Amino acid sequence: MKKNFYILRNGKLIRKGNTIYFIYEKSEEKVFSAEIDGEEMEVETEDISDKQEYEKRVLPIEQISSLFIYGRVSLTSGVISFLSKNNIPVHFFGYYGNYESTLMPKEMLLSGEMHIKQAMHYISQDKRVFIAKRFVEGSAQNILRNLEYYQREGKDLQEEISYITNASFSIENCKDVSQLLALEGAIRSKYYSSFNKILKSFEFDERTRQPPENPLNAMISFGNSLLYATVIKQIYHTQLDQTISFLHEPSERRFSLALDISEIFKPLLVDRIIFKLVNKDIIGEDHFVKELNSCLLNNKGKEIFLREYDEKLQTTIKHRDLGRNVSYERLIYLECLKLCKHFLGIKDYKPFVIWW
Amino acid sequence: MYAIIVYDVGVERVSKICSFLRCFLSWVQNSVFEGELTESQLMRIKEGIKEIIDKNNDSVRIYIMRSKDVFKMELIGIEKADTGPFI
Repeated sequence: MKKNFYILRNGKLIRKGNTIYFIYEKSEEKVFSAEIDGEEMEVETEDISDKQEYEKRVLPIEQISSLFIYGRVSLTSGVISFLSKNNIPVHFFGYYGNYESTLMPKEMLLSGEMHIKQAMHYISQDKRVFIAKRFVEGSAQNILRNLEYYQREGKDLQEEISYITNASFSIENCKDVSQLLALEGAIRSKYYSSFNKILKSFEFDERTRQPPENPLNAMISFGNSLLYATVIKQIYHTQLDQTISFLHEPSERRFSLALDISEIFKPLLVDRIIFKLVNKDIIGEDHFVKELNSCLLNNKGKEIFLREYDEKLQTTIKHRDLGRNVSYERLIYLECLKLCKHFLGIKDYKPFVIWW
Repeated sequence: MYAIIVYDVGVERVSKICSFLRCFLSWVQNSVFEGELTESQLMRIKEGIKEIIDKNNDSVRIYIMRSKDVFKMELIGIEKADTGPFI
């Protein structure tokens, strides 16, 4: 099974011996560059992979599923074309852990038919609202599963649960997407308000972004951007168009379909990781850097989160319909396939809801 | 499946086989590679090795396991290489 690799250090990727080497300076710790606009590194033409002052790590090309780059890394066009030939996407994240961009291999699964069908579902108001409703429904159901779990654990969440249950009944009554978005926002803010009851430490007052203001917001933002990149990769492996979305408005320069799909998986992946990290005291105040008006995960914190996330993606469950073990990452892919089937009129889309 | 590949080949072919295996598996010790493989990757490795080695003098052993969980590895001394996904 292929792995995701996460590069936290600064350095450079080179192609050598038909695979990828990551070269970094020996003394350097796993640090995130303090400069936001990193200075250009000097271009070195000689082979530095065997020099003593550099540490190297060989990444077996056949094992890489995708690369997540958090440090300042330089790539040559040779590496880029090699990665593209092997269909490996490279996700870049900024200094704040925010999602910046993805270097995608050229689209390999093209389908004019799918493209047109997908667009038709966007243009027709009824069809678009139908899909948008399913996304909100999936998200609400998964949120409820999380809350019910903590209810059983002895937390008093009755108010939140009944509020969200009621809200999910009124999804069907929504007439357009803006109403749905408002409803979705209301569900989310109710959900976030329950965080104070679920979590042992950390105060959560309201969701703040760009930049996040407290540790919880920092973790939510960090996790959501990771999930976003993961979904983009899975959509890439299907014939869907990344830019045509249903719940969110398709806008320029954004892969907005990934925003829609990640809505369903946020409670399952990101939120559960946060609950675990906080309630088991794996993450604490000293894993954050507080600056003026902002709060961010530091190096150690990022690594802890990434480790947990990677483990989570590889966790397998027995799929009810397929009857075999499927990883969480694969579940996202299956979700994309369900959308494909819906567009082609084979089977109506039903959102993924945690069944265990 | 999980595979461990150990090789004992002539000096002039050591680096060839090492750089070939680096494309598929992680290096753990001198002349030892291991990692998760698919059926097709294993076939490609076997074909590749056959082309590099001298069949009359060299020896390459491939240990194939169903998964990493079916055996226990004990380490004495230091870990020579980091194989985790965090760099």
